[in-house]
Amino acid sequence: MTEQEKERVNEHLKATHDRIFESNRAWASKCLDKDPEFFAKLNSGQQPDYLYIGCSDSRIPANEIMGLEAGEVFMHRNIANLVNSIDLNIMSVINYAVRHLRVKHIVVCGHYNCGGVKAAMTPADLGLLNPWLRNIRDVYRLHEQELDGITDDAKRYDRLAELNVLEQARNVVKTAAVQKSYKDDGYPIVHAWIFDFKDGLLKDLKLDFEGTLKSIQKIYNLTGGD
Amino acid sequence: MSTIQDAFHRLVAGNQSYKAKTFSEAPNFLPQLATGQSPEVLWIGCADSRVPETTICQCKPGDIFVHRNIANILSADDISAGSVIQYGVGAVKVQRIVVCGHTSCGGANAALGDADLGETLNTWLHPMRELRRKHQKELDALESTAAKANRLAEINVRNSLEVLQTLPVVGNAMRERGLTLHGVIYDIGEGELKVLEETSKSGNNSLWSQGR
Repeated sequence: MTEQEKERVNEHLKATHDRIFESNRAWASKCLDKDPEFFAKLNSGQQPDYLYIGCSDSRIPANEIMGLEAGEVFMHRNIANLVNSIDLNIMSVINYAVRHLRVKHIVVCGHYNCGGVKAAMTPADLGLLNPWLRNIRDVYRLHEQELDGITDDAKRYDRLAELNVLEQARNVVKTAAVQKSYKDDGYPIVHAWIFDFKDGLLKDLKLDFEGTLKSIQKIYNLTGGD
Repeated sequence: MSTIQDAFHRLVAGNQSYKAKTFSEAPNFLPQLATGQSPEVLWIGCADSRVPETTICQCKPGDIFVHRNIANILSADDISAGSVIQYGVGAVKVQRIVVCGHTSCGGANAALGDADLGETLNTWLHPMRELRRKHQKELDALESTAAKANRLAEINVRNSLEVLQTLPVVGNAMRERGLTLHGVIYDIGEGELKVLEETSKSGNNSLWSQGR
């Protein structure tokens, strides 16, 4: 980069950085106009009804697309909204949300046109992303016949994105925290959704929670003990 | 279980109103988003419901690539956060990484002691408890539990910036294309982001006005 280019980049970086802090102040003052106690109440603790597990993709800020305020949804976002039983990161999130915050709903939300899903089907060595995205290749293998039958590439990726969400939601149901809490309290309920940029709508993939729970418990039942 | 149904229907109704509002304000916004993303910021923050990054920064969809976990803990051996960083920096090519801790953090609070939270959370919080042990003297000198937890949250953010710099994908992007790292603390009671630390290849890059 030339000095001039560096200067231009610096100016741009400063402007975008300042924008975040200016916006933050504007947002805080707007919240206080609406409710002078807003931050004081938040400061006393959180009691969210929802745990949302979604993709890191910048285009899907979950609070905004669900119309929820600060304090309403506990949030985990990773590459391609994957739920892997040996990923301590997400298992800690689910554990805390279910056992300590006692959330009522867990939403696993994917989206069409997902870069992670596409990357997973790329015949390339992606380093650290290999083991992470392997989960998606496994979902493909589970539904190989159906997916092979879709000739249009974009449509096949979008269907894989849907099947991936359903599989990850099933992985949430398999956790001990969810199985035990549902047995004792009747919640949380697990949902599988997908977000469509084209119409801005969340589509419910209609995971049958109770049916799924019953079917996985033949093999994955973790409700005994204690 | 009527409350469970109500809570669920709220989300669906909220999304319908999001769609209506977004299309009426800017009819092309969402269809354009569908073509791809080029966010400038990767945000590594806490899963806490009170710190929704896009809301508190009044940003728009497409602005921030996001990873949120319990207590915004970053360990070099965490494959989830590692994949986000690899993809966010290497493929999406964000220009800065913001690590955001916050006041009244349940994770920081729990890391002040060694209470048994079950194997999963004990293991997850282990690096933060180690940080606490390393800085025990400094924390002991603070009076209230809240002050101790807030200080530990800051120490944790600084540690995350150090972990980030050890990752080749981050180091290379800092050298080659000016990626910068930023540590911030969000004060929940004030609703305000506070800058803790900023790093670039030349140390403090003086780009950012301090003490705003």
